[in-house]
Amino acid sequence: MIVALYLVYLLLPIALLALGSVGEVWTNTLLPTGVTLRWFGELAADASFRRAFGTSLIVALATCVGTALLAVPLAYALHHRAGRAGALAARLLAALPVAVPALTLGFGYILVFSSDALPWLGSLPLLVAAHVVLTLPYMTQAVLADLRHLGLRELEACAATLGAGPWAQFATVALPSMRHSLVTGSVMVVALSIGEFQLSNLIASFSHRTYPVVLLQAFYGATGYACAATVVLLVLALLAAAVPARGTGA
Amino acid sequence: MSIVLEDVVHRYPGSGQGVLGLSLQVAREELVSVIGASGCGKSTLLRLVAGLLPLQQGALAIDGQAMDRVPAWKRPVGMVFQSYALFRHLDVLDNVAYGLRMRQVDRARSRSRALAVLESVGMAEHAARRVDQLSGGQQQRVALARALAFGPSVLLLDEPLAALDAHLRARLCDEIRDAHRRSGAATLLVTHDQQEAMMLADRVAVMDRGRLVQVDTPRRLYERPATLEVARFVGHANLLPARVVGPGRVRCAFGDLLAPTQAHAPDTAVTLLVRPEAVQPDPPADAPNRLGGRLTRERFLGPTSRWDFAVPGPTPGHETVLLCEGPRYARHAISLEPERLLLLEAQPLPAGMGATASPPVASSPSPPPTLDTGGSA
Repeated sequence: MIVALYLVYLLLPIALLALGSVGEVWTNTLLPTGVTLRWFGELAADASFRRAFGTSLIVALATCVGTALLAVPLAYALHHRAGRAGALAARLLAALPVAVPALTLGFGYILVFSSDALPWLGSLPLLVAAHVVLTLPYMTQAVLADLRHLGLRELEACAATLGAGPWAQFATVALPSMRHSLVTGSVMVVALSIGEFQLSNLIASFSHRTYPVVLLQAFYGATGYACAATVVLLVLALLAAAVPARGTGA
Repeated sequence: MSIVLEDVVHRYPGSGQGVLGLSLQVAREELVSVIGASGCGKSTLLRLVAGLLPLQQGALAIDGQAMDRVPAWKRPVGMVFQSYALFRHLDVLDNVAYGLRMRQVDRARSRSRALAVLESVGMAEHAARRVDQLSGGQQQRVALARALAFGPSVLLLDEPLAALDAHLRARLCDEIRDAHRRSGAATLLVTHDQQEAMMLADRVAVMDRGRLVQVDTPRRLYERPATLEVARFVGHANLLPARVVGPGRVRCAFGDLLAPTQAHAPDTAVTLLVRPEAVQPDPPADAPNRLGGRLTRERFLGPTSRWDFAVPGPTPGHETVLLCEGPRYARHAISLEPERLLLLEAQPLPAGMGATASPPVASSPSPPPTLDTGGSA
């Protein structure tokens, strides 16, 4: 019963958005009237939306790669220093997204990267780096949980007795063992990156605005147009999440 | 000697447990079982030999070569872990070929050798399967094949049968023994199962609190335990406080008994060890060491039975219960075969270990005599 109520609470707004995106008129009525694909056509014709769509995909995928490259060695190192310090570091890392809101991070970036010494505010690499910082704890936690569950120490000890040195242990045992958590972590990272608004709104330049930033404009126009833009964001998130899943063979 | 350990130490920080000064030699083609209570340092010993833990003191040599500074991946050691530690991202054949691949054997040769080893443990038909599709017994065989595939001169087995049911354990014991013989490796097997240890081993090493207490053939260990700890740990044992009262005679809770006292001077306090099978049920009236009493518990075990027999004494109203074993139960009396009794050094017997004296059948001011039966009934 509770699950059913939760699903209704979760799915009802999405269903209404989908309905609104193909509704002709939706003013002062419970549901929209008429059926049209006009809003999607207008959206496709809008150059700023098309550019933002592409930017969001690029940022999400680059974030995914960057996060994976950092999270794997970080989780591996934390797992192998699983004493008190390691456990504390892992807990701090997990709390980071809550402790440091994107807004705080964004203001910090504006201060640091708008200076003459580091004039990178508005650049695509900085936007990707910011998304990596935001999503790194999620990926690291996913990989770390997997390493604990797998009993990696025993597997590596076994590999050592079979002749594998430290690098071979990592490459032939640890890394392949992490593949499932890398997939789930990547899906999470992509979903977070695609939907990220606060930080991107503060640090992205006009030419590198992400889809959620541009989407905000749609809400100042017709309801059907805003609904269509939001449905596209949802599809974009689902598509981008499917890419790493397919790439890692999950 | 293939493995030579000299006074090796590895003490875990904090607990102070580990291996605390242990010397042992294992010859090529020899299988030595290491047994002892949980936390006595058995697995630590294996990890020291494998190079997974550093020696803090002492020396280790394999095939005459000092191993103190040789990392685990360069030692000629194969190990089967308690969890088997099979690589789930590889199929059975690639798991077994892993050690050969790490030693730069080319793919075709390593797979062909791996298949031959799988054949020897009866797993060749499962070569292409994923390891998580195998039963516990099959996983154990794959782990054994993987440890042997690259031809190590030392084989380490860490509780390899612990996760299996009793029936499968018995069958795999023979397979381990065969595989060990074929490999010719010096083998150290850690187990908490004393029967498994005695069945498999050429020699059994008993560990207690980080040290070796006795290393001997299974038969000598059982028949001539060096200490009370060994007597308690190996097989079932009735242990009774006693005193030598003269040549060939000891006095215990039952009164005077005939026993081999050659190694003990008169008036020496000793502990009398009575193995359950040294008890004869309902002997003739003139049998030596005949003790009257009553049967208090029966346990039918198929080919044999294990039963408790309560003997009155030393004071009126008290009984001492002996654990006995044999095909038939005693109803009225038992006798203890004098030549099968053993005297050990006297030590206070901790209360609450195994069966002890039965509660008083009548109120009495004196406490019941202590009787210790080591092992589990």
